[in-house]
Amino acid sequence: MEAPPVSVLPITGGTINMMEYLLQGSVLDQALESLLHRLRGLCDNMEPETFADHELVYLLKGQQGNPFLLRARRSLSHPTVPWHLRYLGQPEVGDKSRHALVRNCVDVATSHSLPDFLNEMGFRMDHEFVAKGHIFRRGVLKVVVSKLSRILVPGNTENTEPLSLSYLVELSVLAPAGQDTMSEDMRSFAEQLKPLVHLEKIDPKRHM
Amino acid sequence: MQQREEKLLEASVESLISRVAHLKNALHSFIYKLENEYERLTWPSVLDNFALLSGQLNTINKLLRNEKTPSFRQQVIIPLLLSPDRDEELAKLTEQRVPVFSHEIVPDHLRTKPDPEVEEQEKQLSAEAARIGPEVAQKQIQTLNKLCSNLLEKLNNPRDDRDAESAAIRQNKPSFNTADTNALVAAVGFGKGLSKCRPPGPVAPGHPGQGPMMSGGPTLQQVTIGGGSGQQQGMGPGAPQQQGQAGKMPSNIKTNIKAASSMHPYNR
Repeated sequence: MEAPPVSVLPITGGTINMMEYLLQGSVLDQALESLLHRLRGLCDNMEPETFADHELVYLLKGQQGNPFLLRARRSLSHPTVPWHLRYLGQPEVGDKSRHALVRNCVDVATSHSLPDFLNEMGFRMDHEFVAKGHIFRRGVLKVVVSKLSRILVPGNTENTEPLSLSYLVELSVLAPAGQDTMSEDMRSFAEQLKPLVHLEKIDPKRHM
Repeated sequence: MQQREEKLLEASVESLISRVAHLKNALHSFIYKLENEYERLTWPSVLDNFALLSGQLNTINKLLRNEKTPSFRQQVIIPLLLSPDRDEELAKLTEQRVPVFSHEIVPDHLRTKPDPEVEEQEKQLSAEAARIGPEVAQKQIQTLNKLCSNLLEKLNNPRDDRDAESAAIRQNKPSFNTADTNALVAAVGFGKGLSKCRPPGPVAPGHPGQGPMMSGGPTLQQVTIGGGSGQQQGMGPGAPQQQGQAGKMPSNIKTNIKAASSMHPYNR
């Protein structure tokens, strides 16, 4: 079930299929500082980067009942930066021994008229949330530590309340389809964060 | 024959002098470091210095034990001339430490027996050892050996002991909550607990989104209902419509067979 190697993919039209490898975990608020220290040591040396994003999830209900989901994200700390639209496919059911969740991923940057455009296309906003936190990089690995907050009044990002007493920790890599070596690197990095946080492959469907 | 021995003696004395000079330099720099760079000194670098000194002592020992080295014990040093005058040559040789070859320095530098105090202590120790008798001594030796081997074992196998202790300590302070992880993943994955008709009140960790998921805005979980006539066909979703529920649909279908006017795709 592996996608063909990159050289065989069509050059004309279409883009290279990018897959996102993902491991998720969480850390309690009181342990956040120690996790940040450890990440600062393990990851590439750069200024600690914080972010504040507002994500809206749009649904298009199709006739067949499987809604099509798109995620639109904008930065609250840099309001003029373009919006980011992302499609995430179903997690690839492959090798059970693969250590990370793998899914198809398509990312584009869009203008600020994205919500209106999606509404006109027939998408409806299903839910939105605010994510604030830190982002670290180590080579191609990206670690995002974020606090998710619920928006109490739709559209008002000032009035939020945290979802839980923990921060969500996500380790992800974007790689072209067919490269399976990533999950080994991710697993060894995740080992280094134990026992502060257990990063593992969590199937979202299990928590429906 | 004697010439050869003399030459051998000279050669070994030369090499001994050079080794001792190395040792002296190492000691000198170590003392300097201890005295002047006191704040910046780390334990590993102190250990390095000690290791260097021990290595140099080892080489000196090896040199002395070497079969080519004549036994120095058989050599006798007799001072031929003692004078209270300053001797420039000697001062130069010893880097100004021994300027005068006189009666005061001879007992210290040409000593062959230990100091009188040391001799006293040694005599006391040997008297003590003779007093306790051979069996008690043997038992003491055995206990010492056992203690040493225990300690060595503990030091050489750190993993088992340390892991048990540290696991016990860390269990008291968990740094993550699995229920929280699941809640957050569900929230990011498909908006559990975040949809517009959210439950009232703050969410306690572990009980996300269990409020009424009623009408108002259909969430992901309810999209299967009212799928329309399209549901009757197989489950071949088009390429973009892979998102959504897992597995086979049929069990969740409420087949509202609406004739011509199936759900308008742009229904709001």
